[in-house]
Parts: sequence; structure tokens; C-alpha cells
Amino acid sequence: MNSLNFPVYILMLLLAFAVIIPLQRKPFGKKFQIAMVSVLGGALFMALLELIKVLTDAPYSYTFGSYEAGIGIEFLVDEFSALMTFVVLLLATLVIIYSIKDLEHEIEPHRMYSYYTLVFLALFAMIGMIFTNDIFNLYVFMEVLSLTSVAIIAIKKKKDTLMASMKYMMMGAIGSVTILMGFALIYMVTGHLNMTLIFQEISQVWELYPRNILLAMGFILTGFGIKAAIFPLHNWLPDAHSSAPTPSSALLSGLVVKAYVFSIAKMMYRVVGKDISVNIGITGYIIVFAVMSMIMGSVFALTQRDMKRRLAYSSVAQIGYIFLGLALATELGFSAALFHVISHAFMKSALFLSAGSIIYLTGKRDVKGLDGIGYEMPITMTVFSIGVLGMIGIPGTSGFMSKWFLGLAVLDAGHPELLLVILLSSFLNALYYLPIVISAFLRERPETPLEMQRDRIPMTMKVSMVLVAAGSLVIGLFPHLVMDIIEQAVPTFINLGMGL
Amino acid sequence: MSFRMIIDNINYIGAMILFVIGLYTVLTHANLIKKIIGINIMETAIFLFFVSIGYVRGGVAPILGASGTETLFVNPLPAAMILTGIVVAVSITAFSLSIVIKIYDAYGTVDLDEIMKIRSVEADE
Repeated sequence: MNSLNFPVYILMLLLAFAVIIPLQRKPFGKKFQIAMVSVLGGALFMALLELIKVLTDAPYSYTFGSYEAGIGIEFLVDEFSALMTFVVLLLATLVIIYSIKDLEHEIEPHRMYSYYTLVFLALFAMIGMIFTNDIFNLYVFMEVLSLTSVAIIAIKKKKDTLMASMKYMMMGAIGSVTILMGFALIYMVTGHLNMTLIFQEISQVWELYPRNILLAMGFILTGFGIKAAIFPLHNWLPDAHSSAPTPSSALLSGLVVKAYVFSIAKMMYRVVGKDISVNIGITGYIIVFAVMSMIMGSVFALTQRDMKRRLAYSSVAQIGYIFLGLALATELGFSAALFHVISHAFMKSALFLSAGSIIYLTGKRDVKGLDGIGYEMPITMTVFSIGVLGMIGIPGTSGFMSKWFLGLAVLDAGHPELLLVILLSSFLNALYYLPIVISAFLRERPETPLEMQRDRIPMTMKVSMVLVAAGSLVIGLFPHLVMDIIEQAVPTFINLGMGL
Repeated sequence: MSFRMIIDNINYIGAMILFVIGLYTVLTHANLIKKIIGINIMETAIFLFFVSIGYVRGGVAPILGASGTETLFVNPLPAAMILTGIVVAVSITAFSLSIVIKIYDAYGTVDLDEIMKIRSVEADE
């Protein structure tokens, strides 16, 4: 079997399954769940073979229907996009295994099929965004993703979800429209839609149209900034991520936002090119916004009492780290950012899933009401603690490694003052995460005896949660599993401006 | 900037003005339906902008063999892309409107200020 076609097979498998789901007539049950997990398993297996092939051979571009790059649509399969696909599918599989039981509490039974249709469409769009090398194709995948990600929030029957999804929809629509305007401006200058060809064209003509390119990048970064929730544009995220059903929150916070971040990386480094990005001065602005995100996201998180809202605001801060790495415009910074994309996906999913288990069992969302919960649900709170330690950056977790790489990158780029910002943000993280862990394990509650119990949650939820946390630990202890791949990918990813 | 230049680039200027009108509508109106109309105006602005990029003065539709002696063609690619863009815009509109219907069922109004009032009363209770 030729693994050259695997990116397309993965997409077709997910899309075909999404189309088949609504045709089901039987009530939601075991058979369907097994089918769903095996489809994801198949996709995951193909992603793994794809990753191995790209690592042993070389990155390649895949053209549809054998039309050459300028005419047809092209996929660029490089080391990082293959790794990212693998991580997306791995986490999605675990989250979906978790969701089977959890969703019974959160959405109506007859909506289960619709929910999984939407999730599969969202996965399809995410993987498409990761692979595509064509800006209009990127736009179409992005629209599919933004519609489905609003829908997996709105599917929960509660008043709060409606307003949250409306806000997300409006902000998302403004974002996509802005991005399309930016793409129009880029098309106007270059006459191409293929990223590689745009880059070749732009590096020749950018001195003639610096304002046009600056305007285009302004539109594009604002649009993707809304969708990736960087600080002043983040206000939809806490509502949307906290009111969504737990599996949706984990998917949205862990994966969907990352797809947009990865698109920004593509636009900055693959389309416009590093030197031009630095030259027209966009990286300086992004550093400012990234720093504001890191600090303000944490400050807002401190004031939240709802557990999921606190996690959502913390996402804003963590996205700040990724943007900081991207905006340094060095290879080290870029690899630190990509590393954090993956490590944050694991940590945030672990946090959201364990928070969801607490809500599943006790119905409590308030961080003040968690005294002694560590005795009631030891496994859940261990998973939560691993996530928390990662967020703070305690050695041994993946969060420590991403902060380590980011710190090295900041020093390498000659901005030692940013190291202070990273430290300050880590202290703030500790300030709002640690009290939850401390009260869970060290405080007692008067009405319940302090006895170790088994978590009274379904087995599937426990297993998937533990696996996500284990993933975070594995990346923390063996960072080179991921970092080696990223280091291979980065030099080919960053297009240096030609003729400068 | 001369008068001639404004006339030559009137479609680009028009697109930008429409874009800003749309954004203004989205940001300032409390009525959710008006917000959706604002998004639609923004989308229309981009469609105008995109089609203007592909327009060639005096060009004809690029149909192979149908144009006779004409050699100047309009760029068909932006028009094709806008066709996709329109489909996307319609689905965004349809989906947002369906959420608005749900909101109307839940709160009995589509005005954001009134919904906020209702929510703050509910939160106090």
C-alpha cells in the first residue's frame, strides 16, 4: 500500500463517516460506538504510518488530480504537519472515548448522532487546514471548522450556551471575513493562491507593494487572532469554552485553537517569509499582544470562580506563549512555539477532562467547593494535578519543557526582559491553579469522612483521562520524541526571504 | 489623489466603504438580526473586492471558442472563488439565524441589551 495518499485517505475516511452517521436508524448504542472508535483508530494508524514515512523519506507535496501546483490544489506533507495530524487524531480518539459516557449527562439522547457528525466534520476540517498549501482551500476548511465548532457548543440545551455560541459565531464570522479580505489583498499582489508560489512572487515584488502586504497581513493576523483568541480579541473564548459540553471544551481548547495558530505560522513564515515579516514590522506587534495575553489571561483567570471558566482564561494565557515563540522569528523560538502547541494540547485536554469528571460526579463547578475531593476521586484529581503542574512548569511535565525551550529561545533572540514575563506568568498560573489542588487533597470536608475511595465514574472516562495525562508526562520526560521531529521540520518551514 | 484616480478605483473604494459599514453595523447594533445583516454586508464587500481584482476593462467572459475574435479575457478565478464564498456566506447566515431563533425561544427577544438585563436578573436570583 502506498502511504503517499494517506493524508487524503484520512480526510476521506473522516468525511465519509461523518456523512454516514446521520443515516443511522438504530438508537445510539454499543455497535455504533465501536464503529466510531475503530474508524478513528484506522485514521490514527494511517497518520502514524504517514509520520514514519515522512520522517524516513522526505516531506513531499501532494497535488490533487495531477494538476500542477499553480492550477490545482496542493497539500504539503512535512514532518510537523504529519506529527500534528497524529496528535490531533490521538487526542480526538481519547476525547471521543471519554465523551461516550459523559455526553449522556449533557445533551439529549436523540442529538448524539448529530454531535458525532459535527465532531467528525470538525476533525476533517482541522486536518485539512493542517495539510493544505493553498490559501483559498485554507479558507474553506476554516469555515467548515468554525461552523462545526460553534455547533458543538450550541448543541447543549441550556440558555447560557445559546448566547455563548452566538457570540462565538459573530466573532468568528468577523474573523473569517477579515481573513478573506487579507487573502484577496495577497491575491491582488501575487496572482497566486498556492503558498509556495505566493512566497516566490512576494519575495520579488514586496518592495513595490510594502503597504499592500502590511495591510494584508494586518487583516489576516487580526482575523486569525480573533479565532485563536489572543488577548484583546479573546472575549468570546471564556464563554464558549466554559459553557460547552466537556468533550467539546477539550477539543476546542486543545485542538481547534491550535489549528488556527498553525495557520498563522504558515502565513507568517511560509507565505510571506520570515525576513519580510520582520521587515514590515509585524513580529514586534505580535510580541506586545502575546505578552499582554500571557499576563492578562492569567489575571482574569485569578478572578474566576467557575472551574471551566478559569481553565478557559488560562488558555488565553497559554496561547500567548505560543504567539511569543512565533513572533521571535528565530528557529529556536519557532520550535518552542510548535512544541508548546503539542504540549498544551495534552495538558489542557487533561485539565478539561478531569474538570468534566468532577462536574459529572458532583455537579460542582465552583472552585471553592472542592475541599477533600481528592479523597473522593483520587484518579481524577491526580490527572488534574499533572495538568496543573504542567501549566505551572514543574520539571517532569511537558509544560516545563515548553517553558524551558521558550526561555532559551527568548535569551537567544536577545530579549532577556521577556524571561521575566514568562516567570511572572508562571507565578500567576501557580496562584490560580494550586489552590484547587491544595484544597482537593489537604482540606477536609465536615460532612464526608476522609477515606480513599475509588472514583465513581465510568471506566471509559477514567482510562481516556489517564492516557491523556500519561501523554503529557511522556512528552515531559522524553521531550526529544517531539523535539527531534520539530527540529527536522523547522528549517524547511521557515522560508527565508530571497534577494534581501 | 486626483479625481480621476478615485473614479478609476471606485470599486475598491466602494468595497472598503461597504466593509466598514458592515463592521460598524455588527459592532454597534444591539439587535442580533441587524448584526447578521452587518456580517452579510461585510461579505458582500469582499465579493465586490474579489471580483474587481479579476476584472479586465474591455475583457469578455473566458469561454473557450465562444468569443470569436476577442483576445482580452476577464480573470475567471476570482469569480469562481466568490461562488464558493457565497455558499459559505449563506451557510453562516443560515446557521446564525437558527441560533437567533433558539435565543428568541429562550428569552423572548432578539435585543442584546434586553437579554443582558434578563440574564443579570436571573444571575441575581
